[in-house]
Amino acid sequence: MSMFEGIPVDVGVIYEGERIRRQDMHVELGGPDQKTKFELVRVKGLDVVEDGKITVVGPDIKDMKEGSSHPFGIYVEVAGKGVEEELEGVIERRIHEYCNFIEGFMHLNQRYDIWLRLHKKSFGKGLNSFNLIAKVLQRLFKSELSFIEKIQITFFTDPKRVKEMYDEALKVYEARDAKARGMKDEEVETFYGCTLCQSFAPTHVCVITPQRYSNCGSISWFDGRASARVDPKGPVFEVQKGELIDSEKGEFSGVNEAAKKKTLGAVNRVWLYTGFGYPHTSCGCFEAVAFYIPEVEGFGIVHRGFKEVTVNGLPFSTLADSTAGGRQVDGFHGISIEYMRSPKFLQADGGWNRVVWMPATVKERVKDFMPKEIADKIATENEAKTVDELKAFLKAQEHPVVQTWKEIPVEVAPEMEEAAVPTIPLPTTAIAAGGFKIILKNAKIHAERLIIRREKEKR
Amino acid sequence: MAKKALVVKAKELKTDVAVVKDFEVSIGRIIDETWTEPVGPTPFPSITDLREWDFKLLHRYKPMYMPFCDLCCLCTFGKCDLTQEKRGACGLNMAAQQSRIVLLACCIGAATHLGHARHMVEHVIEKFGRRYPLDVGGVNVQLEAPITRLVCGIRPRTLGDLEDVLDYLEDQVTHLLSATHTGQEGSNLDFESKVFHAGMVDHVALEVADIAQIAAYSFPKADPQAPLVELGYGTIDTHKPVIMVVGHNVISSIGIIDYLKENDLYADVEVTGLCCTAHDTTRYSSRAKIVGPISWQLRFIRSGIPDVIVLDEQCIRADTMLEAKKIKAPVIVTSDKNCQGLQNRTNDPADEIVADLVNGKVPGVLILNSEKAGEVASRTALEIAPKRKKLKIVPSVKGIIEAAKKCKLCNDCTRACPEGLPIPEAMREAATGNVQMLADLYETCVGCGRCESACPNDFSIHSFIIATAGNILKEEKFKIQAGRGAIQDVEIRNVGSPIVLGEIPGVVAFVGCANYPHGGKEVAEMCKEFADRRYIIVLSGCSAMSAAMYKDEEGKTLYEKYPGDFDAGGIVNVGSCVANSHIAGAAIKIANIFAKRNLRANYEEIADYIYNRVGAVGVAWGAMSQKAAAIASGCWRLGVPVIVGPHGSKYRRMLLGRKDNEKDWYVYDARTGDRVYVGPVPEHLFYTVETKEEAIVMVAKLCMRANDTSKGRAIKLTHYIDLHKRLYNTMPDDIHLFVRTGADIPITMKEEILDILEKKGWKEGWIPDPTLLPRLIRKRKE
Repeated sequence: MSMFEGIPVDVGVIYEGERIRRQDMHVELGGPDQKTKFELVRVKGLDVVEDGKITVVGPDIKDMKEGSSHPFGIYVEVAGKGVEEELEGVIERRIHEYCNFIEGFMHLNQRYDIWLRLHKKSFGKGLNSFNLIAKVLQRLFKSELSFIEKIQITFFTDPKRVKEMYDEALKVYEARDAKARGMKDEEVETFYGCTLCQSFAPTHVCVITPQRYSNCGSISWFDGRASARVDPKGPVFEVQKGELIDSEKGEFSGVNEAAKKKTLGAVNRVWLYTGFGYPHTSCGCFEAVAFYIPEVEGFGIVHRGFKEVTVNGLPFSTLADSTAGGRQVDGFHGISIEYMRSPKFLQADGGWNRVVWMPATVKERVKDFMPKEIADKIATENEAKTVDELKAFLKAQEHPVVQTWKEIPVEVAPEMEEAAVPTIPLPTTAIAAGGFKIILKNAKIHAERLIIRREKEKR
Repeated sequence: MAKKALVVKAKELKTDVAVVKDFEVSIGRIIDETWTEPVGPTPFPSITDLREWDFKLLHRYKPMYMPFCDLCCLCTFGKCDLTQEKRGACGLNMAAQQSRIVLLACCIGAATHLGHARHMVEHVIEKFGRRYPLDVGGVNVQLEAPITRLVCGIRPRTLGDLEDVLDYLEDQVTHLLSATHTGQEGSNLDFESKVFHAGMVDHVALEVADIAQIAAYSFPKADPQAPLVELGYGTIDTHKPVIMVVGHNVISSIGIIDYLKENDLYADVEVTGLCCTAHDTTRYSSRAKIVGPISWQLRFIRSGIPDVIVLDEQCIRADTMLEAKKIKAPVIVTSDKNCQGLQNRTNDPADEIVADLVNGKVPGVLILNSEKAGEVASRTALEIAPKRKKLKIVPSVKGIIEAAKKCKLCNDCTRACPEGLPIPEAMREAATGNVQMLADLYETCVGCGRCESACPNDFSIHSFIIATAGNILKEEKFKIQAGRGAIQDVEIRNVGSPIVLGEIPGVVAFVGCANYPHGGKEVAEMCKEFADRRYIIVLSGCSAMSAAMYKDEEGKTLYEKYPGDFDAGGIVNVGSCVANSHIAGAAIKIANIFAKRNLRANYEEIADYIYNRVGAVGVAWGAMSQKAAAIASGCWRLGVPVIVGPHGSKYRRMLLGRKDNEKDWYVYDARTGDRVYVGPVPEHLFYTVETKEEAIVMVAKLCMRANDTSKGRAIKLTHYIDLHKRLYNTMPDDIHLFVRTGADIPITMKEEILDILEKKGWKEGWIPDPTLLPRLIRKRKE
C-alpha cells in the first residue's frame, strides 16, 4: 500500500526541481506580493500535541480564487521523547523539502520568506485542500524523523491570524538565532563527526562543533545532532569532547581519539582552530581554501566559485588539490564559508588579523563578521593580483601582518625550468686531473633515454 | 619529452689534456620527469598487463553470445559450422569465434581513431611545430589528458609529446590484431580481455586526436558557454554556393574555411557538414553549419543543394560518387583511406583542377593536401553553382503516385529496411493518391537506401519519402551548442561529491551513431527525461545532433533550454566522436582531482574507483560502427556500463550480470578487509534494449553503485522505481537487492517498500568502502 493513499497527486523526490510559472498557478501563498508569511516548527509536550490533527485557519484552497495570492503560514507542532527544542530549526527546514516532493506544489525559501505555488493541473486532479498537504507532511515527517511521535499542523490563511502568528514567529526565529550564534564550543560536551566524504577522502573526518561548520558548509552542529539521532548507523556520529588539551588551538582528547579511530590511525591529532601544525583535514568538497602566503606571512582565502587565479598565481583547483583527499597540510586548509563567520576562525593564527587576501564576493558575504578595523585592510582581486601588489597594499593599509615583517625572508620557491633539450658542453679543459692525457677516438655515446627528474628541495 | 632529443658530434677536438676525435653523443629520448606523481604499476600496459582486472569484471559480467553469423569463413578450411558445440577446423568454438569477431571489430574501430589521430598530430605538428603547447582549457584544465596520463603514465605537454603515445598505441593494435589470426587464442575470455584492451587503446587515441585539434585550432576550450550554432537543412542559405563536407577528420574542412576567410569569400559560400566533421567545423568556426547526422547524407545530396562534396574519412557512404554524379556535383576526396578510385591531383595546379571539375571533365579528384583541397573546393563551388542551378533528383509527388500504382507489394523493401518500416503499406496508400503515410516514414528512416537496392522496380524509394516530406526537411532549423571539449577541473570538483555520494543520480552519456529504431527524437526525449531529473547529460557525435532536432512548446531546443555545464540538469555537447574521450576523461578526473587517487599509470585502481563509485552510464542508441564498439569496450574496462538500442545485439554479445547469483556481488570493504554483499550494482556491463522505455528504466538502474550513501541510494531508487512504475506500470521486482539499510529506502515510498522487503525476506546489511582489489584494503596504522 502506498503511504500516500488518498492523496490525488504523486509525491516523490523527482518533483523537487519543479518550477511553477505564474500562468500555470492556481494560487500563490506567501511570496513577494505578501508581507506576512511564515513557517514555524515548535517542540511541545506529548500531552499537548494531538497526533494527526490538522487545522485550517482561514479560507482553504478550494475557497480561493484562481490566480489569487494570499498571506500564509504553516505552523507545525511536534512532540516526542527524543525531540528537543534545539532541533526545531532542523525540523523546520524539512518543510521546504517535503512540500516540493508534492507534484505541482512549489516551495521556495524558508522562515518569513516562503513562497509557494500550486499548479492548476494538480488542483484539477483534486489537490484542493490544505488537509491533503498536511497529511503528506505528517507522513513524511514521521517516516523520516523517527523521533517525532506526535505531530499536528495548522495552516493560516486568514490575514489577521497570519499577522499575529507572523509576529510571534519572528520572535522565535530571533531567539533561536541568538541562541545558536551565542552557543560556544565550550558550552557543549558533544561534538559531531561526519565521515560521509571518506569515499573520496579516506582519511577525512569532519569535526562539527557549534562554532565550526562542516567543511562543505551544509552541516551545522544542530544538523549533526539531528542526523546522529535519526540514523545512528549513518555517517554522522557523536564525538565526546573529552579533555581540553589546548583551548587556543582547539585540541580535545575526544576529537583526537575519534579521528584516530575513524581514519584507521592515519590522523591522530586535530587542531580545530588553526591552519598550521595539525589542521583539520580537508575532504574534497570544502567551500573554500585558506592558503598561507609565506611572502607576506598571512592567509589568502579562495572559494570554489572564483574563476581567476589567486594572488599567488594559482587557481582554486590547484590550491584545493594541494590539500584535498583527507590530508593535513601545514598552511593549506579546506573550510566552509560559515566557519569564517565564527569567532573561532583561525583563532590560533590571529584570526582575521592574519587574513590578507580574498575574492571580493566572499568578502562581501562575511564582511559583517570581521572586526571592523580589519575589513578594509584585506585585499581582494580588485586591489592585488600579484604578491608584489599585495605587499604594497598591505603596507599602505597598515595591515597587522606588516608588523611581523621585520625580517622579510627572501624565500621564493624556485620553479623548475621546463626541461629544455640539454646541451652538453664538450670538454674544453681536462676531463680528469692529474698528469695524464685522455684520448677519445671514434667515441660514441648513445643513450636511449635520458630521464630528467626534479630534485626534492633540500631543507 | 621529444624524439631525437639530442645529437652532438665532434670531428676533432684538442685541448691541453684531451684529444677527442669523431666523438658522438646521441640521446634517443629525453623524458621530462618533472611530473612528481609516482609512476603506478602499469605504464604503457601490454595486452596482458590488465588481464586480471578484466577477468574480475568478466567474472561478474559473463559474456552472453548471440551469434550474428554462426559460421566462420576467415580461412580456407572453412566455412566451418560452429553450432551445437561444434568446433571449427582450427579447433575454435562458437564463444571464442564470436569474441574473436568482436576483437576484430574493435581493432578496426581503434585503428580508425588511431589513424585519424596520427594524421591529425602529424598535420598540426607540421603546421605549428612539436613544441606547440597542449592547452585544452587554460587555467581551468590542469589535467589536460586524463586518459593518456592514466594509461601511458606520461604527461603530454606539447604536440610532439603525443607522438610517443601514438607509437605505443599502434604497437598495441598490431599485437591485438595478430591475436585474431587462425590458430591462436582459444579462450573466449582472453579474446574478451583483448577487446577491453582495444577499447582502452581506442580511448587514448580519441583523446590524442581531440586534444591535438583543440589546442592547435583553438576549438572551444572546456567552455560551458560554447557558442550556439545552426543545425538543419532549413538553416542553409540555398541561394549561395554550398559546400558539403562529410566524415570525421576536419583538416580538409579547415582548409576550406581558411581559404574562404583569407580571400574574403566566407560570406558568399555556405560550408555545411554531416557527421563528426560537421561538429568540428562548428568548433572551428561558429558560422559553419551542421546538416545533420550520418543518415542525412542521401537526402541532402539528392536535394541538389550541395554544389561540391568534400569527403574525408569514416562513416561516409561508399556510393557517394554515384549519388553526386546524379546531381552533377563534383567530389573532392581528401583522405588516403578513402580515395574512391579517383586520380591523385595533389601536385597539379589548382587552376587546372578547378577547371576540370567545373567543366565536368572529371567527376572528382583526390587531393591529399588540405590547403589545396580547400582552395579547389571553394573555387569550384563558386564557379559551378550558377551552372548547376541546384539540380535535384527528387521526384514530383505526381510521379510518385504513378509509380506507386506499379508497386508489386512484394515486401522486399520492408525486409531490407533495418527498421522494418512499412513501406509497402505506404506505397499502397500512395497509389490511391494519399502520400501522407510515405511522408510519415521520414521521421524514422535512417537513410540507408537499402530499400532501393531491394526494389525489383528500381524505385528510388528513399527519394519518395523525402519528396513527400519536403516541408519537414525545409523546416529543420535548430540550434546546437558547439562541442565544448573537456570538462573543467573546477566543474569536476563541484560535482565530484554529489556524484560519488549518489546525490546527483547519475551521468548519462548519449553517444554514437544514428541507426535508431524509431528516429533521433527518442534520443532527445531520453535526454530531457534525465535532465529534468537532475542527472548530468553528456552527448557527442550523431547523438548530440539528434538531440538538437527537437523543440519544446516554446520552440527551444535542448541546448537552448538547458545549461551546458557539467552539472545536475546540464546538457553538454562535448563534440565529435573523438571528443568522447572527455566523457571517459571526466570519470577519471573525478577519481583523480576530486578523490586524489593517483592517476599515473594506475589503471586498475582508477577503474575500480569509477566502477564502484561513479554512477555513469553510456547509451549508444543507434550504435552502428566498429568505432562505436571500440568506444564501448573502453568504457567497460573503466567499469562504465553501456546500453545499446536494438541493433546493438548485432555486436554479437552482451556482458550480463546475474542478480540471482548472490555470490557474484561481493566486494572488499577497504576499511576492514571484510567481504561484503553489495547487490547487483551495476547489474550489467553491456546490455541491449528494444525500446526507449526499456532504455530509460535500465539507465536509472545502472546508475546505482556500491558506494552510494543512503541519501544517494534513496534518490537513485526513487528514480528507478518511479520510471518503472510510469513506463511499465509495475513495481520493479528487485528492489530488495538494492536496499542495503533502512536508510536507503526513499522516504516517500517507505511503507510500500518495507512491505516488499518483508515479503522478500530482506536482511539489513551495511555500506562498505567498496573495492574489488584486495591490495587497496587499508592497513591500520598504529
